[in-house]
Amino acid sequence: MQKAIRIAALVAVIGLLVGLVIYNTLNPAPPDMGVWNAAMSKGDAKTAKHHFIMYTDIFCPYCDKFSNAVAANLEKWEHDYIERENILFEIRVTDVNYVNGHSNNSRPAGIAAYCAAKQDNFWDYYYALLAKMFEDYHSKGIGVDKYSQRIPDLDKSYFINVAKGVKLDRGSFKQCVENEETAKELDKNTTRAQNYINGGVPRFVFDKFTYDGFAGTWDTTSDYEQVKTLMNAGLSTK
Amino acid sequence: MGIRKVAETLLDRAKLGLFGFGKVFSRPKYAIFGIFCVILIAYILSFWQNGSGNWQLLCSGLPFSSKLEVLGRVFVTMGDNFTSLWGISIILLALLQGIVITQLVFTWRHREKNATLDGASTGGIGAILGFIALGCPSCGIGLLTPILSAVAGASAVAMAETISQIFTIIAFGLLIFTILRLGYIDYVLASVNNRKEKHAKSN
Repeated sequence: MQKAIRIAALVAVIGLLVGLVIYNTLNPAPPDMGVWNAAMSKGDAKTAKHHFIMYTDIFCPYCDKFSNAVAANLEKWEHDYIERENILFEIRVTDVNYVNGHSNNSRPAGIAAYCAAKQDNFWDYYYALLAKMFEDYHSKGIGVDKYSQRIPDLDKSYFINVAKGVKLDRGSFKQCVENEETAKELDKNTTRAQNYINGGVPRFVFDKFTYDGFAGTWDTTSDYEQVKTLMNAGLSTK
Repeated sequence: MGIRKVAETLLDRAKLGLFGFGKVFSRPKYAIFGIFCVILIAYILSFWQNGSGNWQLLCSGLPFSSKLEVLGRVFVTMGDNFTSLWGISIILLALLQGIVITQLVFTWRHREKNATLDGASTGGIGAILGFIALGCPSCGIGLLTPILSAVAGASAVAMAETISQIFTIIAFGLLIFTILRLGYIDYVLASVNNRKEKHAKSN
């Protein structure tokens, strides 16, 4: 009898846990729908029919898989979704992995991203940084998941040098990164984001559809299929 | 009884547990059932290994065919699991859980209800801990973070990372313990059965 009660208690605990997961999934905190940084968005904010938000950390491999897949299919993605479906796609860069003690690199990467946004060229810099990180680490199996070898702590110069191939005023970009001029904006946005990313990053808030994480395989072709699934889920969820 | 004696007894039991495990899985119907359980659990764990993402897609407004694709893609995830340490830990978890379930069925069918309930509760706790420790909380794909966020708010991510590691270790420990414990009981049951069969034949 006592053992039957133990089993019943076990089932009750499972039920409670599953219930909490479902509750949290179906009742996410309502996102702040105003654009946080216009340079970090694509599409026309005034006429857009949809507002898709991605909360990210540049040193989160799952976020990077999503963005790499988009970067590899950029023209098609922009045509099929941003233009045809009239979507405003906004990236909200945070350094939650720095705050949570997972990566010291999240902070300089975030600062550099906001410095590029300051010069209105976030997207080129972002994709160039992701490509460089893939070449140096992800393609070698470093920093690809929680069990893999960690990416070592990188110097600010790593993030400054990425700007070489991007149309940026390198002098002021270097000064911005070195003096951490955008740190306040990064901190403010990370604090704000923490109210919405109860499952960490990436968190996608595509209109009424929310999704946490991104599995992916670093194969931009198959990962793009998943990107499309998420985008379509965002468009079709009323 | 000295510590050495206790250790020797435990080791003997563990050895017999492994023999018992062998005896259960040398029977084709239990071997097939075991494989089925492992595949089924691997599918379930793969479905949830990326947090509640697949569930969110099934709840979305996607057409039915796309939802079927989501379910089909879980098989691809299962295959991909063999290529990373994280994935292999999920496969191992499925393997251990499949073995425990098969042993539980064997024990239950031999009318050892107490042992079955004992194994079910210990193995069940191991299975639950392993299940909720899945994923990478800091990367937004853990099941534990949404659970903790209900009570811990913004600090849930940091908490979940540590707790999930502890849960994974405990889950593996409990499942291995259950397998050896049930294996020992199964060894005794199988030996008694063999004797009964021999006795029946000789009569």
